[in-house]
Amino acid sequence: QFAPSNPPPPRRPAVYAEQHENDEEKQFRRVFQQLAGDDMEVSPTELMNILNRIISKHGDLKTDGFTIESCRSMVAVMDSDSTGKLGFHEFKHLWNNIKKWQGVYKQYDADRSGLIGADELPNAFRAAGFPLNDQLFNMIIRRYSDESGNMDFDNYIGCLVRLDAMCRAFQTLDKDKNGTIKVNVQEWLQLTMYS
Amino acid sequence: QNPFKMSGIAAKLQHFREKSKGIGTNSHALKYLNQDFEELRRSCLERGQLFEDDCFEALPSSLGFNELGPNSYKVRGVTWTRPTDLCRNPKFISEDATRTDICQGALGDCWLLAAIASLTLNKQVLSRVVPHDQSFTENYAGIFHFQFWQFGDWIDVVVDDRLPTRDGELLFVHSAEGSEFWSALLEKAYAKINGCYEALSGGSTIEGFEDFTGGIAERHELARPDPHLFKIIQKALKRGSLLGCSIDITSAADSEAITHRKLVKGHAYSVTGADQVEYQGDMVQLIRIRNPWGQVEWTGAWSDNSSEWRSVSSEDQERLTNRSEDGEFWMSFSDFLREYSRLEICNLTPDSLTDDEYQKWAETEFEETWRSGVSAGGCRNYPDTFWTNPQFVIKLNEVDDDPNDGEEDRCTVIVGLMQKNKRHRRKMGEDMETIGFAIYDLPKEYSGKTQVHLKKNFFLHNRAAARSETFINLRELCNRFRLPPGEYLIVPSTFEPNKNGDFYVRVFSEKQADFQVIDDPVESHVEKIDIDEDEISDRFKTHFGQLAGEDVEISTYELQRILNRVVMRREDIKSSGFSLATCRNMINLLDKDGTGKLGLVEFKILWTKIEKFLDLFKSRDVDQSGCMSSSEMRVAVEEAGFSLNNSLHQIIVARYSETNLTIDFDNFVGCLIRLETLFNTFEVLDKDGSGTIELNFMEWLNVTMLQ
Repeated sequence: QFAPSNPPPPRRPAVYAEQHENDEEKQFRRVFQQLAGDDMEVSPTELMNILNRIISKHGDLKTDGFTIESCRSMVAVMDSDSTGKLGFHEFKHLWNNIKKWQGVYKQYDADRSGLIGADELPNAFRAAGFPLNDQLFNMIIRRYSDESGNMDFDNYIGCLVRLDAMCRAFQTLDKDKNGTIKVNVQEWLQLTMYS
Repeated sequence: QNPFKMSGIAAKLQHFREKSKGIGTNSHALKYLNQDFEELRRSCLERGQLFEDDCFEALPSSLGFNELGPNSYKVRGVTWTRPTDLCRNPKFISEDATRTDICQGALGDCWLLAAIASLTLNKQVLSRVVPHDQSFTENYAGIFHFQFWQFGDWIDVVVDDRLPTRDGELLFVHSAEGSEFWSALLEKAYAKINGCYEALSGGSTIEGFEDFTGGIAERHELARPDPHLFKIIQKALKRGSLLGCSIDITSAADSEAITHRKLVKGHAYSVTGADQVEYQGDMVQLIRIRNPWGQVEWTGAWSDNSSEWRSVSSEDQERLTNRSEDGEFWMSFSDFLREYSRLEICNLTPDSLTDDEYQKWAETEFEETWRSGVSAGGCRNYPDTFWTNPQFVIKLNEVDDDPNDGEEDRCTVIVGLMQKNKRHRRKMGEDMETIGFAIYDLPKEYSGKTQVHLKKNFFLHNRAAARSETFINLRELCNRFRLPPGEYLIVPSTFEPNKNGDFYVRVFSEKQADFQVIDDPVESHVEKIDIDEDEISDRFKTHFGQLAGEDVEISTYELQRILNRVVMRREDIKSSGFSLATCRNMINLLDKDGTGKLGLVEFKILWTKIEKFLDLFKSRDVDQSGCMSSSEMRVAVEEAGFSLNNSLHQIIVARYSETNLTIDFDNFVGCLIRLETLFNTFEVLDKDGSGTIELNFMEWLNVTMLQ
């Protein structure tokens, strides 16, 4: 019943990819090149600056800004070669998800408070593709919401990025699709420390 | 290329799991871009349509980006045409592919042609790259497939058969008589994995050899030959290796110039035999060479009809003479060294030779990474970081079978170090790193212990037993060594430290050898702190009372405020302030009664921990910069009670360091608290102590979302 975002299509040769981008994608690539600088990779600090610049333009989203810690975590869950940075494809994937989830956020903020309350959360997450059980919701609220149970925009995004990545990690490791994964201590630490 | 790329570290783990199950070998090749040849062909046949590859389209962009770019005059008038429209009776591969005469087109990829030509000499190897069960008649659907070796994996690549042509002629590789197409299609598939046709210009035959065989290629400069070269050639031939030799050209006009003894310059020859005969009372070493043109042969001493043959025994004549004009001829080994410039030997992996008539190399391999600040330590010129490079141990037990050699018992090994995926990114301006390796005698006390990463001190006090000839910016560096039996430590590195890279090490040995990554075990030895309420001083109790307020417990937010007040006061440690996540982790680690807050004893334990961390941080911050360099961090993590392997040290730097690769105090504490928590969680989940835990999806989310 879970619908984490689909893994992106397989990489195409770079030449092919560039030739087949539409204008929006071409513009995105240019923006990325500016953001990422010479190394063509986005560090957690760069990610934080981008995200905070964007949300400062949206008055209807309540947030105290993305913290460096949550940006480090977002980079970590998407980075498979432990360079500590995101490449173009990873960043684009993240970007598209954030845009999508921002729409959901606004739609499910029923009282227009700019926050997602504990009662609005299950519906919002279901719409984002994650119908969780009560136990998980309770845990997520404890972990990501403030003392009165409200989740602001940066925590909401941080939580969904992680949830999405963890679903995909599970699917990746559950190659035989038997519903369970087995890991040894070394794999366990690699998976959980880098998140 | 990897559909699970965005699943973070899980993608890497899955790659290693599949590898250990044999996926990526020649018989279980990975499907390039997930395209399945059988499935695509079946669906084309059902629909009655010819395959059109949307991953490598019949468009100018597939030709090139610069000289063959869309606006270049060189691609004017190019159309993509199927062989069935080019000639009446196209063949995929004719029965006798050994006589294939492939011709170069308008692309500077003669190196590829030379490699393809050598390939045709070994049917077994050819059939691995070019699956023969395809044709233009039976089940023809305009789709073909080939298999290449890429950085440790065999991949299966499909192409459609639309080939670039101009005026009804193939633009690039083509067969001499124009009706055999496997070589042109192979070139297209190889262009596909490299991005475009243009990416193929200016490579080396050695790269082609390796990509077609998965073998390891060595280069011998004949001006300075290895003293054992003749023996090396004989053994290589016995092992079914591919051998190519050539004469350097000094100018472009020299290309394919023919010497007065009828040798062709700048041309790729194959070496097909090596033997000795008695001649006028002496033993003479002879070498047999083949010109892939099938004609134009050496006319000097020992050539087909030379007088030398009259002075050898009739048995030797019988065994060795070869008088036809077939491009193959003998010459003396000393003439060979004088006339030719270079010999390239591609040693094949054991799995490429199923035939019993060949002796096989034993092969071992490993993939690892250099990461800035952690495991990209640079060469021995950088003693502070050299030891952090990944390390491998090889154990050589048995000496070579070499009755004639006369020297002491030695073990022959070929060590190859390859950097991954760089060629593909050349367009992005990324160059090859300068790479090399050193080999050390493993001290006796480390014998058999694979889980001990050798530290700085060892390398300060020990000289390398052997090393790569140079540090060089090629895709692969490969050297041959003759070492006494024993255990050796191999340390591959980039020349300068802090260069990120992924690499692949292969060791070929004459006899079976043990090869292991040497790394520290993953274990926690953190001391449990036990404190009784009676042991806590009144002063601390009073202080706690003030901090905790009415509920007599400390919440996440209170903890954050307390810690930040402490670190902000100190000028000797750098910190950007504790994150809520770290404070939450601290509480989760110590909150035994599940209130989500810390009581007096719990807080006292935490405080003791933090004081310890502070001492550790200060003592490890050798340069008193207020933060820790990533190599200081490695040692500090160990002193804190965690033994971790290279991958985990890399992760710590990637996760917790600043852009300048330093780690400040809050991240230092955050990291250690998290490690302790995760080791504890694993122990709890591993109920039967088997060392492996099994989780279903909900359990997985529960433990990972909490972090």
